[in-house]
Amino acid sequence: MSLNRTQTKTMGKGSLCGATISEHRLRNGLRVLIAERHLDPVVAAMIFYRVGSCHERPEEAGLSHFLEHMMFKGTANLGKGQVDRITTCLGGSNNAFTTPDHTAYWFELASDRWESALEIEADRMQGLLLDPAEFEAEKAVVLEELAMGLDDPWRRLSRAVQEILFGRHPYGRPVIGYADILHRAGPAEMREYYSRFYQPANATVVLCGDLSPSSALKQVRKHLGGLQGHFDSSAAPYRPAPPEPDGERRVQLSWDDPTARMVMAWPTTAVGTDVDFAFDVLTTILTAGRLSRMYRTLVLEKGLATSISTSNDTRAEGGAFWLYAEAAPGVNPADLESAIDDELGQLHEHLVRPAEMKRAKALLIAGAAAEGETVSDLAEHIGGYAMDAEWTLTLELSERRKKVTANALRSVVREYLGSHRRVVGWSLPGSGPENKA
Amino acid sequence: MSSFTDLAAGRGQVPVVTLPRVRFELDCGAHLVVSARPGAPITAVHVHVRGGRSQDVLGKEGTAFLTGTLADQGTDLHDEMGLASLLEPAGGGIRGDASGLSGAIQGDSWGLLLDTMAEVLLGAAYPAGPVKRQQQRILARMEAQAADPHSQAARRFRALVYGKNWLGQSVSGTVESLSSITSADLRRHRKRHWRPERALIAVCGDVDPEKVRRKLNRLLRSWKKGRPFKVKPLRFPKRGVRVDAFHRKREQVHVYLGHLGIKRADPDYAALTVMDHVLGTGPGFTNRITRRLRDELGLAYSVQADIHSSAGTYPGTFRAYIGTSPQHLPTAVQGFMREIHRIRDEAVGEEELRVARDFVVGSFALGFERASRRAAFLVASELHSLPDDVLETLPKEIATVTAEDVQRVANQHLHPDKCCLSVAGPVRKQDLRPLL
Repeated sequence: MSLNRTQTKTMGKGSLCGATISEHRLRNGLRVLIAERHLDPVVAAMIFYRVGSCHERPEEAGLSHFLEHMMFKGTANLGKGQVDRITTCLGGSNNAFTTPDHTAYWFELASDRWESALEIEADRMQGLLLDPAEFEAEKAVVLEELAMGLDDPWRRLSRAVQEILFGRHPYGRPVIGYADILHRAGPAEMREYYSRFYQPANATVVLCGDLSPSSALKQVRKHLGGLQGHFDSSAAPYRPAPPEPDGERRVQLSWDDPTARMVMAWPTTAVGTDVDFAFDVLTTILTAGRLSRMYRTLVLEKGLATSISTSNDTRAEGGAFWLYAEAAPGVNPADLESAIDDELGQLHEHLVRPAEMKRAKALLIAGAAAEGETVSDLAEHIGGYAMDAEWTLTLELSERRKKVTANALRSVVREYLGSHRRVVGWSLPGSGPENKA
Repeated sequence: MSSFTDLAAGRGQVPVVTLPRVRFELDCGAHLVVSARPGAPITAVHVHVRGGRSQDVLGKEGTAFLTGTLADQGTDLHDEMGLASLLEPAGGGIRGDASGLSGAIQGDSWGLLLDTMAEVLLGAAYPAGPVKRQQQRILARMEAQAADPHSQAARRFRALVYGKNWLGQSVSGTVESLSSITSADLRRHRKRHWRPERALIAVCGDVDPEKVRRKLNRLLRSWKKGRPFKVKPLRFPKRGVRVDAFHRKREQVHVYLGHLGIKRADPDYAALTVMDHVLGTGPGFTNRITRRLRDELGLAYSVQADIHSSAGTYPGTFRAYIGTSPQHLPTAVQGFMREIHRIRDEAVGEEELRVARDFVVGSFALGFERASRRAAFLVASELHSLPDDVLETLPKEIATVTAEDVQRVANQHLHPDKCCLSVAGPVRKQDLRPLL
């Protein structure tokens, strides 16, 4: 099929949470995902760029997130603050976020005016000013954001564990970067980074809500179809594979409150694999709801923890299974750790009961329904999968999770959750937020 | 530039949010509001019990909080696990707080949710063992909060503004008061205060209102009547300069500055909503405080100020917040004061006013997608006797707010010379008063 400059190719279709989704690609390489749902007179308009902390060189750590801030600081057409002013006048809201694998900008607007978002995104995809004075002013804000994170004992601990877990892979670095590198960053360096990654062929627009797909697509073509650029898909730096652990590693911090906090993490897999879906089920079995194993045993029955949670954190190039626990007052951290090991040992040895599997799958279905309640959440969900794997995975989630068997779960536990593969971090009551290990 | 300015102009009427509702007085005396929404994937139920923590007795602060929070620990029919076994396999859950219970469930299982909530509402048993265990968990959390600068700055600010009455205390009480509460206290509190005359029940989802009414009438028919709740007037400390500090070594200080605010029924509510958006809550850089303190001075990632959002049956607070590096504290406080004075002393410009009004009016179409948000809005509407057409009339009222209105309400309701200041982090109390 031959396409002229603004022609569009329709790639695929599906249905999710009452929305009909279609995929299109413009000649300039921009991908467009449209999810039509008319439950409320609202549209979420998002643009995702496949650039995050993972795509930074070590000396660029934090640049993706800092650039996200600068995207609100003015273009040749729209002065500083104009994006917010226009959004506000339209009665909408906007924001942005950066992950290890992508950066996303979102607008939520009434359905008679959402097209303004496209014009804004078209303008700032290629016309960012990066004024030196604004750059320095915003750097101060980013450094305050970083300081805010350092005052959070959980974030400090997770960061320390993550650095060990992912080794030289950029997933080991915090998305916000490091203060010394941010201090050294300049607008010229950011401009080069911006040109490298903010290109139509490296972007995906996601439109979700009360709209007509054909006229929405027409609007995208009108505003973004004419943008030209060159995207070198090999622009991201070399990334060594996340290392295969060769023994348990430990880190200990201290914090000046009476709480003992623990983070355990194991390297796992990328988004969208069968293992990813098995971990979705596993995390629900272990810590979601009152009937979950670890909540019931460690919090209710043994009183060893005041809280416990797990997270299946799969990303584009790998992932981690995280376990967070807060020891009950007076409990020896070693006793809590040993009880967690016992629970994991059960999973190594025995198959999960059918009733537990059934409950977990029902909770996952309910969670998906809640996630699809708002168009913004739905757009973020679709876009996130589109960036880190394939958006069509969103159509398969329920079925793929349903297909996870107790045998598959035990295999995953045996393969991934051995103690020799994990990093264990403790933050213990002490003199203050200093690293002691 | 001009073509982009048009992006925000000439849009006319915003899409209207419809929140249809049907009201019922249940046979037991409880008030029920049902909002049907065909196709909604989730059904949410809120049971608001009037009175809440204002009913806590001296020395037992935290009783209302525990009565709600631990209501799901068991009934005469089911223990905690039994209750969870009813709801979790159907993708549902309930939780309580000092104001009652709320719950949500997916698909068409709303009947199961009502069954379970009614069982808990009428029969929460507060078994001693589970209550003790959960109490220990909450106490552990409170001890961590006692060392957390952000929590402490917020708590101390409330105490400065509201004084010693219950509004100035933490909803969960103190370590001492919470420790003294027994299962019997919780049962007593539930029996005495969770009464149908005090209950507002909101149900939102893909439901038939009449079926909901019939089901709740049946489920709640044994709910014994009690005494209706009467709002008691509270006395607050006189507005004035008061400071407090909590010292901890941290990267940032948390700063709360402000004073007593307004009730939801205040006739200036609409004008103050607009004022807030100009001063400290408008999105992004459209409000003055964010523009000045974050964008121009680079003092913070997180900064805001407002008076309208905390307005309730009792007065809320006017509260400005910033988290910033310790060396920026004087500049931050000066920045707040400068903008508070400015909005009192100078009329807001037409463009600034238009932006704020347009946002408040236009954003009414947003925010009602979630069933739980709809249920919470219905409860608040009933609680504050807002008219049924408030989603239509309030935007109209806001659209007519003038610059003179904003200046008048700023002068009437903002008092920069009588502010309380609570700061936590690497800071000393004696250094605070000179900042005001």
